[in-house]
Amino acid sequence: MSYLQTKVLSHAQKVRSLYKKAARTLQSYYEPFDRAEFRYQAVLLRARFDENKNEVDVRKAKKLLLDGQKELLLKSHPQQIYFPLSPGGVAYERHFPTPDWILDTWHPFEKAQYPEYFALREIRKKEYIERWEKQYGKTEEEVAH
Amino acid sequence: MATLLKNVRSFSTIANFLVRTTVPRLGAVALMRQLNCHHHCSSRPLQLQILQSPFFSQPLRWYAGKPPLTLESIQKRVELVLRLYDKINPDKLTLDSHFINDLSLDSLDQVEIIMAIEDEFGFEIPDADSERLMRPRDIVQYIADKEDIFD
Repeated sequence: MSYLQTKVLSHAQKVRSLYKKAARTLQSYYEPFDRAEFRYQAVLLRARFDENKNEVDVRKAKKLLLDGQKELLLKSHPQQIYFPLSPGGVAYERHFPTPDWILDTWHPFEKAQYPEYFALREIRKKEYIERWEKQYGKTEEEVAH
Repeated sequence: MATLLKNVRSFSTIANFLVRTTVPRLGAVALMRQLNCHHHCSSRPLQLQILQSPFFSQPLRWYAGKPPLTLESIQKRVELVLRLYDKINPDKLTLDSHFINDLSLDSLDQVEIIMAIEDEFGFEIPDADSERLMRPRDIVQYIADKEDIFD
């Protein structure tokens, strides 16, 4: 979803991504009204991709990819369908789990209501720190804030 | 004769009144006593009985939610999706068969499979993750991780 690209994508990855986005766009256009029509259009789309799947000329392949991306942009759906809980959806990040460290800010009286849980929690925290130091080494005092 | 008729009429009105007021009250009292008796006589309280009946313990409709998933049910649903895909031979399909090496699909078929799985489970699988999902077992494990399911 982010516009900032942080990884180098290979040509094949870009083609796969383009295919998926194109198919989802077709779904947004056709599926709400006619599922059969959507499947028909999806098969045509697949045929268009399969036409050039054995292209060995890199420059030609790159041109095809750029043309495809441009076509996708021009034909993009004004109100794309997204899954509710996924990025772009209506309920995305509506409910998020409370961060674990909130429990460390409890008052000792509150913690005393659940003695077994917090005793175990202290042990788990110690184990976590041990694991961390085993993997990454001890934190330097000067660096630590 | 007239007085007799009048008496009869007044008696009928009184009877009518009694029927309308007292009988329902008696009935209600009787019903309440019966309920009370039921409440005290049975070993479990009435409310608990209602809550433990199958109607409450296994709801039939999940209004905005989903039925709880287990590893087994995820596996069944993934297998069903894959078996219904026309390019996969259901006889060759196992949990550990590689889509490209064993089932001889190509990478766009794998994208189609991932889209079908997305539609089945109702969440988006990013491209970076979907590249790693090459076996049905990987897909099952990925969905279980996403939905926090361990058994």
